[in-house]
Amino acid sequence: MRLSDSVAVLHPRSPWEAMDFGMALARRHAGLLMLAWAIPAWPLLALLSLLLWESPGLALLIFWWLKPLGERLPLFILSRTLFGETPRLGESLRALPGLLRAEWLASLTQRRFNPTRSFDLPVLLLEGLAGKELWQRRAVLAACRGKRGAGWLTLVGLHLELALWLGLLAFLYLLLPAQAGVEFDWQQLLEDTPPDRLWLEHLTNGLYALVLMIWEPLYVAGGFGLYLNRRVHLEAWDLEAAFQRLRRRLGSATGILLLATGLVLAQLPGPAMAEPPASQASQTLGRQAARADIRAMLGQPPFSRREETTRWRFGDPAQVSDIESLPAVPADFVQRLAQALEVLLWLAVGSGAMLLAWRYRAWLAAFAGRRTPAARRAPPRPPGHSAPRPAASPTLPADIATQAERLWAEDPGQALALLYHGLLERLREDYQLPLSEADTEGEILRRVRRLERPELQHLAETLIRHWQNFAYGRHLPPAAVKDELLSAWRARFGSGSPA
Amino acid sequence: MNDASSPPPLSRQQAGQLLQALRTEMCKAVIGQQAAIDDILTALIANGHVLVEGVPGLGKTLLVRALARCFGGDFGRIQFTPDLMPSDVTGHAVYDLASEQFKLRKGPVFTHLLLADEINRAPAKTQAALLEVMQERQVTLEGCALPVPQPFLVLATQNPIEQEGTYPLPEAELDRFMLKLRMDYPEAADEMALVRQVARSTRADMLEVAVLRPLLQAADVLALQQLASDLPLDEQVLDYAVRLVRRTRDWSGLTLGAGPRASIDLVRCGRARALLRGGDFVTPDDIKGCALAVLRHRVCLAPELDIEGLSVDRVLEQLLEQVAAPRP
Repeated sequence: MRLSDSVAVLHPRSPWEAMDFGMALARRHAGLLMLAWAIPAWPLLALLSLLLWESPGLALLIFWWLKPLGERLPLFILSRTLFGETPRLGESLRALPGLLRAEWLASLTQRRFNPTRSFDLPVLLLEGLAGKELWQRRAVLAACRGKRGAGWLTLVGLHLELALWLGLLAFLYLLLPAQAGVEFDWQQLLEDTPPDRLWLEHLTNGLYALVLMIWEPLYVAGGFGLYLNRRVHLEAWDLEAAFQRLRRRLGSATGILLLATGLVLAQLPGPAMAEPPASQASQTLGRQAARADIRAMLGQPPFSRREETTRWRFGDPAQVSDIESLPAVPADFVQRLAQALEVLLWLAVGSGAMLLAWRYRAWLAAFAGRRTPAARRAPPRPPGHSAPRPAASPTLPADIATQAERLWAEDPGQALALLYHGLLERLREDYQLPLSEADTEGEILRRVRRLERPELQHLAETLIRHWQNFAYGRHLPPAAVKDELLSAWRARFGSGSPA
Repeated sequence: MNDASSPPPLSRQQAGQLLQALRTEMCKAVIGQQAAIDDILTALIANGHVLVEGVPGLGKTLLVRALARCFGGDFGRIQFTPDLMPSDVTGHAVYDLASEQFKLRKGPVFTHLLLADEINRAPAKTQAALLEVMQERQVTLEGCALPVPQPFLVLATQNPIEQEGTYPLPEAELDRFMLKLRMDYPEAADEMALVRQVARSTRADMLEVAVLRPLLQAADVLALQQLASDLPLDEQVLDYAVRLVRRTRDWSGLTLGAGPRASIDLVRCGRARALLRGGDFVTPDDIKGCALAVLRHRVCLAPELDIEGLSVDRVLEQLLEQVAAPRP
């Protein structure tokens, strides 16, 4: 590897610039990289689909698991391309078996979920290390946040893959002809795919491979850029490349002569300046004095920087407090107090959780529990509202009919009211009608009609009609009504008092 | 277009007979929607506007067309669309080249009976233009206030299930409607009769309203409204109506209660309903019978009950079961 042959300018970059540099390199050879990735990957996916036709999900999982092996060939091409030796496709494919052998099992098992895979792959593949040496080398490269950005690259890549894949899935769904009769709902996505739809699942697996064909070379290139940048930082590749170019330019004898002259001239003493004469004491400086001077010098800027910060921190039991004025508190008491406080805090947390669960029980029942359909349940009675009370009647006399007859001459309205309230009482007592305060006269009549007792219905209708005429229309009942009502009442209820 | 300024004298008995005939006539066209017919006649007598809600195909528009057919006055219809402008409703000034003057061109709102079909399809400014006319009963064009003819009744329809591309009416504007009717699926027997009748109809997919007789003139409607407003209302019944409305404000199942306008409308509807049944005074049944239609669009359901899957109607029914009826 001759750094001076690099087709790119190598100099220290920020991690983001380094990734961008890698991707720019990949864009130059996008076609080659995508083909090199796709030629082994597509047949593999096809084979998996054929073998696991009934389980498209499993086929996709295996394909996804083998992704790290597919990243090796693009890296191989990128590493050659950097130094102007771009391999042809056939040459690259011939190198593939050798590339796959290096630590393939570790890549698929213990390091499969390594978030900095793109950064670690060049160390394995390009430096040809293995075992402990590889581990040490990785440690060196990762030191001082050397891998900065590699994890983010993986995370962003993961989301990008997912977004592109979902986008393609949506696009595919839009392209499906109506005749295909494919109708999705969320429920179906959770269930097994019917056999006649398996082709669609495998097609979506293919779309994922299509996304990877575009993204994987870029991902590898981003990691490769980070790796190169780390090497530039650590080994001053930029300087080395500059020196190599200089040596090549100054390769002639004239150049060497000029260089030698320059070096000789550089060794000549400088001009004599008017400096104070060196003290004798410094010439006879002893070891102790020198140490003291050095210590004093190190205690001054720029070798030391003093700053004061004030903050709370837990006391170190090993340190003895220098505040002697505080009364000594027994450690046992403090321990018990802390435990009591802890118990109280946990109680508060538990009570809060229970309070929240109680407060939002309706939501919990709706979203976390099994509910009966609301249509079949009665609406919950709001707090503060009691159940409908039975209609309260004024105190009724023992013989309602006789009392009403007596009242009719003086106050027919009062007599009607007495008969009406008596009727309500009898309906509740004798016929168990669940009358409440909220029931209007019309509703009471509807309940009476449901009893299917013609005489009772006729009495109730007549009484309620005349009662309404008096109560809301201020129309007094005709005199003829009195006898009709009272005789009907006595025929139905006798004296009228509850049995 | 004439304003019926002097309503003919009409006795309560005549009014009752007229309304019964009208109801029977409308039932010929609108099958299985007796409650909706009663409610729409209630609104007509109470001089209030109606919002009719129901899924497509239940006869919302048919109901209004049937009323229009039985009504001898003017009838207008506006199909609300997203591009409908306020001036398309109220009218606008047009420059007349011949006279070199601006002339007012009145919009379709200048009518007795206006069908605002699918009102929630138009944007807020157009809805507001109509709602302003409903409230003020006049339109201001070029600085000139033009009253709409009397009687003036707006019957708006909307589809509750379609939310896409609609502009739901805000609560403050819903309050302008006296009643909100919910049309539900007809009973099996009614549906059988309906299908049988439509199958005989010359129109392929709808009932005929052409066979209905116009029984009501604009002046008759004014007379009916006058009669209803003169019906005696006992203090206890008035108190019951007000208690019903006030209870919505502290009912914990509702986050928003109905305002005083609801109390007024409830009493007016009670009077109209009393006249409709041929009564001489208002009973608690008249009030309770139209309470649901008067209140359902003026209250907001509490979120927890909404999540429970309860409807406003169910909560209001429960409220009605809690408020004590008058027991003089």
